[in-house]
Amino acid sequence: MDASPGIQEPFDLIRLSLSERVFVKLRGDRELTGILHAYDGHMNLILSDVEETIMIVDAQDGASSAQGVVNVAKRKLEMLFVRGDGVILVSPPSRT
Amino acid sequence: MSFFGFEDNDPLQREKQKFLAGKKTEEDLAVYTWGEESYDGLGDALLEGGDELNDETFGSSGAVGRDFDFTQGQQFTEQAPSDPSHSLQHSVSSLETSGSTAAAAPARQPHSLWDEKSPFSVLPRSSNSVRALADHHRSSSSARLSTYSNGSISSAGQARTQSPGMLPTQTITQGVSQTGRTLQEIEAEMRAAAQQTRSAAATAATQRQQLLQEQQAQQAQQQQVQQQQHFYQQQRTAPPRMHPQSQSPRFHQQQQAQQLLQQQQLLREQVLEQQLREQQLREQQVREQQLMREERAARELLREQQLQEQLRRERALQDLQLQEQRRLEEVERQLRAARISELQQQQLLQSQYLHQHQRQASNGSPLSQHMGGRRQQSPALLDAHLQAAYAQNGQVVPQNIQLQQRLLSELAQVEFISNIHASPEEQEALRAEAMRRIMETERMEEKRRRKAAKIAHMARYNDLMTQSDKDFITRIQVSQLVTQDPYADDFYAQVYGAILRSRLGLQASDERVLKFGSGGGVGLGLGQKSAGRRPNAMQKMEQQVERIVNNARLREHDKAPHSLQGALGKTSGRSYKAAPRQLLQVDTNGATSPTTSHPHISKEDAIRMDREGAAKEAAKMGAEALGVSDPEETVRRDPLTSKETLAILEKLYDLVLNIEQLRREQPPSDSEDFEAVGIWNARLNESIHQLWDGLRVMVPLETSNPHPFISLITPTKGKKLLPRVSRHLSSQQMLTMLTLLVACFSQMDIVIDAPLLDAPHESPAQAELERQTQAFLGSVVQSILPVVAKAGLRLVSGLLGLLMERSDIVAITQTRPGLAVLTLFLSRVELIKQSMSSATDLSELPSQEETEQWELMFDHLFQLLHPNLLFLFPSTRIGASLSALPPDAPPVAALHTDALDQPVWQFLAALALHSSNEQQQALVTALRGKVLENVASANKGWVASEDERLAKLGNVNLFLHALGLDSSQISV
Repeated sequence: MDASPGIQEPFDLIRLSLSERVFVKLRGDRELTGILHAYDGHMNLILSDVEETIMIVDAQDGASSAQGVVNVAKRKLEMLFVRGDGVILVSPPSRT
Repeated sequence: MSFFGFEDNDPLQREKQKFLAGKKTEEDLAVYTWGEESYDGLGDALLEGGDELNDETFGSSGAVGRDFDFTQGQQFTEQAPSDPSHSLQHSVSSLETSGSTAAAAPARQPHSLWDEKSPFSVLPRSSNSVRALADHHRSSSSARLSTYSNGSISSAGQARTQSPGMLPTQTITQGVSQTGRTLQEIEAEMRAAAQQTRSAAATAATQRQQLLQEQQAQQAQQQQVQQQQHFYQQQRTAPPRMHPQSQSPRFHQQQQAQQLLQQQQLLREQVLEQQLREQQLREQQVREQQLMREERAARELLREQQLQEQLRRERALQDLQLQEQRRLEEVERQLRAARISELQQQQLLQSQYLHQHQRQASNGSPLSQHMGGRRQQSPALLDAHLQAAYAQNGQVVPQNIQLQQRLLSELAQVEFISNIHASPEEQEALRAEAMRRIMETERMEEKRRRKAAKIAHMARYNDLMTQSDKDFITRIQVSQLVTQDPYADDFYAQVYGAILRSRLGLQASDERVLKFGSGGGVGLGLGQKSAGRRPNAMQKMEQQVERIVNNARLREHDKAPHSLQGALGKTSGRSYKAAPRQLLQVDTNGATSPTTSHPHISKEDAIRMDREGAAKEAAKMGAEALGVSDPEETVRRDPLTSKETLAILEKLYDLVLNIEQLRREQPPSDSEDFEAVGIWNARLNESIHQLWDGLRVMVPLETSNPHPFISLITPTKGKKLLPRVSRHLSSQQMLTMLTLLVACFSQMDIVIDAPLLDAPHESPAQAELERQTQAFLGSVVQSILPVVAKAGLRLVSGLLGLLMERSDIVAITQTRPGLAVLTLFLSRVELIKQSMSSATDLSELPSQEETEQWELMFDHLFQLLHPNLLFLFPSTRIGASLSALPPDAPPVAALHTDALDQPVWQFLAALALHSSNEQQQALVTALRGKVLENVASANKGWVASEDERLAKLGNVNLFLHALGLDSSQISV
């Protein structure tokens, strides 16, 4: 059996993850995990049961930006439309 | 106006002054060319608003003379030479022009005309001004007022001008001056007036008119003596007439003119006697009383509303009014027929009044007639009163007789109110009722009018398009909807509609698609079920589309032999399909279509390879079955990776969709085209075969752990695939699948990880597991349910044995999927047992051997479960894990363990049904604590809510009922 039957192009990999939980990295230090319901050629995504993680780097006065304190804000959303231009990567969640 | 200096602000006025100052151009009547082509547009520049300025200037200052208003006089001088046949038109337009110039009007007629927006209110001003031009210039304002107040002098001339709007003022002044007079004086004056006007009418009116009036006047004189008596009587007995509805400012005028009204009453009686010659008023009353009693039964509605006594009187009133109304209408008709020629011109002027009256009269029901007749709020109607009063004096104006008739009907009503309703409180009640109905009728009338206006507005465009125009447009619209694959292009609406229909329990055709012969079609979207106008529109649209489609098909049929279509090139009728070019061009044919998913391998090769693989597997299975098991032959493989699983699932989904599409394209069963049917069958079987292979059910059990099939149903979408697959598989295939599932039960994620669900703290993993469990119960169990429901005792025993053999039954029973499957088996056997007792067909009965085998299996199961019965309950397990927590752990939110326990109670009930007496004893002993705990907490109120209490009791009862007990028998 071919290890990856029917996989011709990158999008086919995303197709495999339909209705599965995916990890999405977005521009602006945001990450999402949620169940992928739909996507298109622009990488617009529709996710449900989403948890969004936002990294907020608070630069301290007098310190270089590398020493900023990273605050993590999380929020949960039932259903989310993600515009494709912010998507950096889509992957299945790491199996623990 | 010019007197007050407004002229500087008014270019129109200046223009006019200049014009009047002597620059008389070639056209004398230039000002009045409204609406003609030479119309200079001055009308647009008119100062329409700003009336409040006039009020400010003139409002309360009382009578202001027009001595210095030279414009007014001159304007009317101009009007004088105008064509008399156009006088109406001109005077109407003069109303508009008089927005700024008619300053004298309010001074002259402070109450009536300024409020009166009807064009008729202007008429007297123009015509009178013309005639009294000399007065305008000579006399002072007071002198002029006195001229007007002397009704008997000016009445003849004014009556000839037929200017109803002017009349009220005159009658008012007359009425005021008359208040001190006695009836004899009035009578004398009336006679004098009649004499005077008769002579005047002789010159002004036609011969016929005159004759009629003379007759009228003579008859009036004849009747006066005998009516006078009646009049006196009425005057004595009747309380002051009430005009509750008169809310207009002219109400006071009416009161002032009460004496005039009494005169009108006289006249009314005259007219009644003249025209009807029926009976005396008293006779009428008596007869109408009788009529009233006869019709009492028909007045149910009113009877409910008021006291019996009051009602009877009101009914009497209504009957009388109705009769009066009818009689008067009859009179009207006679009069109108007699004078139709004379009235034609006058009716133009009267049309407003008439319109109002006629509409009221034509309202249909006697009630609304009554209402309409009593509507005295309208100022115009009040004018009519006064007008009629004047006409009585003048007795020249023929058209006024019509008004008199209507007026009289109203008066008659008032009369009867005062006659019949002696007590004031009854009148009060009646009045309130009447008010209410009047308001109601007016509201309805207003509504109706608005609706009619709207319809009329829309009707302007009626019949603008011919039917072929409409068809053409519909064709254009429909052509946008035609697609090659109507179902797919309308996919979501079709699927949603199917779901909706199944939910509503409606059986409808599978798809709402109009198909054309040549492969195209139109999706019809959802079937509209909602009430209202829309469904009709939708149905109409559908019918239209169908008609067009049929026409097109016929045309196509006709054209077919020529087949010139497209010879000159094709045009795309679907411009909206030209979507923006996508950034990433996904070749949808390449990847998604399962048949072409191996681009390098031709389709036939792929099928052959699949076949070869399947054959190899089958050979292996056969070898195993024959006992010539060759361990080397059974290729041990690594379990499918999740990526492989997902890829296979995608392929399977494609297959399923393909099969579903194939089934939709099934040729009709009565099709003559055997070749097409054969091809279709072959394609379907081919696809189903691929699907079956893809599910890997036939892969040997030992191939991997988990088994590939179990891997496939690990993701949610794998579980959800099963119900869609099961529709296409044979029952034998489904049975094989069930056996495989039972054999590999403990390999499933949801069984392995089940203890996670008992963890007291929520985690993402737990949530995920919960979701998977639900998906399993919802999809997998649902799809194997029909298989189990048909299984025989032997098969169930075998499956139970397999489950116990290959899995740790104790562990499985502590999972929800395991409990669900076991309950399924137990209840199936219970059903078989029931049918055993009732069935007559011996062949269906399980054999003795089968029964014994089942009991063996069950005893084994019971033995295994018995020590762990309490741990079947999630509540017990959660409680255990809670107590294992360190005491400083954060408190756990209240879990709804009763809902979790419910399947367990259900399972125990099934278990109890199958148990022997000793087993039941053991069962009760083991569960005694649990049962008591639930009942006690329910009865002693250790519960958060009523729902929880009921849930606990319900759970316990599930089990106890199976033993023939009830929770109420337990006293704690």
